[in-house]
Amino acid sequence: MEHTHDHHITGPKTYALVLAGLLVLTIITVWVAQFDFGAMNTVVALLVASFKGALVALFFMHLRHDKFNAVIFIGGLFFLGVFLIFSLFDISTRTTVLPSSLKEPVRAFPGAPLGKPVQPSTGMPKGQAPTSPE
Amino acid sequence: MDQQFEASKIGMWLFLVTEVLLFGGLFVGYGIMHAKHPDAFIAAHTHLDWRLGALNTLVLLVSSFTMVMGVWAAQTSQKGKLIGYLSTTFVLAGVFMVVKYFEYSHKFHEGLLPGKFYAHQGDTVEGQFMFFSFYFMMTGLHGIHVLLGMVAIAWLIYRAQKGHFSSQYYGPVDMVGLYWHLVDLIWIYLFPLMYLLS
Repeated sequence: MEHTHDHHITGPKTYALVLAGLLVLTIITVWVAQFDFGAMNTVVALLVASFKGALVALFFMHLRHDKFNAVIFIGGLFFLGVFLIFSLFDISTRTTVLPSSLKEPVRAFPGAPLGKPVQPSTGMPKGQAPTSPE
Repeated sequence: MDQQFEASKIGMWLFLVTEVLLFGGLFVGYGIMHAKHPDAFIAAHTHLDWRLGALNTLVLLVSSFTMVMGVWAAQTSQKGKLIGYLSTTFVLAGVFMVVKYFEYSHKFHEGLLPGKFYAHQGDTVEGQFMFFSFYFMMTGLHGIHVLLGMVAIAWLIYRAQKGHFSSQYYGPVDMVGLYWHLVDLIWIYLFPLMYLLS
């Protein structure tokens, strides 16, 4: 573990420049959302957000001069990435998200607390049945 | 002192990692449901006003800047500037919550509520309640973090006024600063995912 003993002090000029960069990237965030990249829409949005996040982490959170804590933080992000990517692999390679013991989606949960069956919301106005279950 | 500072900083970063994973679970859930029901999510997000989201993004980014300037003021033993920057950060956090309040009350009024409470009339796309389940869970949890951050910043202002912080001792300012930047960081991802779907 290497630590420099005098703490690095970044000055207001750098912080002001980083803020300016973040504001420009916010405009870019809104701007790119108008274009349709198809399936890449979310990826593009997350990419711009990650540029902003990197600026905040490196400059405002001083990870530039804080290698040890940067490893901790990136370690956390790595496991979040594993969680996200494996979950999406699982979901995208299944034909159905139902457990193998179920044949069709559950429309009511009879075992709900206080003996009151819970109807999952259909997203339609009250009293109206869903038009066509998938 | 130096060792204590470094140790508390490692502890703070470990806490921030648990926070990332806490929100991470919600982000993964959002990703899965979005991938499964893209039409419902895109239809539902049009109920949100992206201009208010963008305004709140600006407010949080500037508050992150004033927070880090507060850390700088503490590092250079400038008491007056420290109190000034911390107070500005506090006020900006308040502005964020006020904007959030108007957004929430608008949604309550329209019946744009999570899960089985969803009561919006005249939908053409089914399943929009799912989006609002994630919207309220994620922005709600984020809002709680903003409120806790305001409490922490108020505590810093109180201690700064008593003259506790200087270039020799500014650990608490640094730690709350890190927390505040993480809250900002999470919002940076929430804004495009909630307000700017296409």
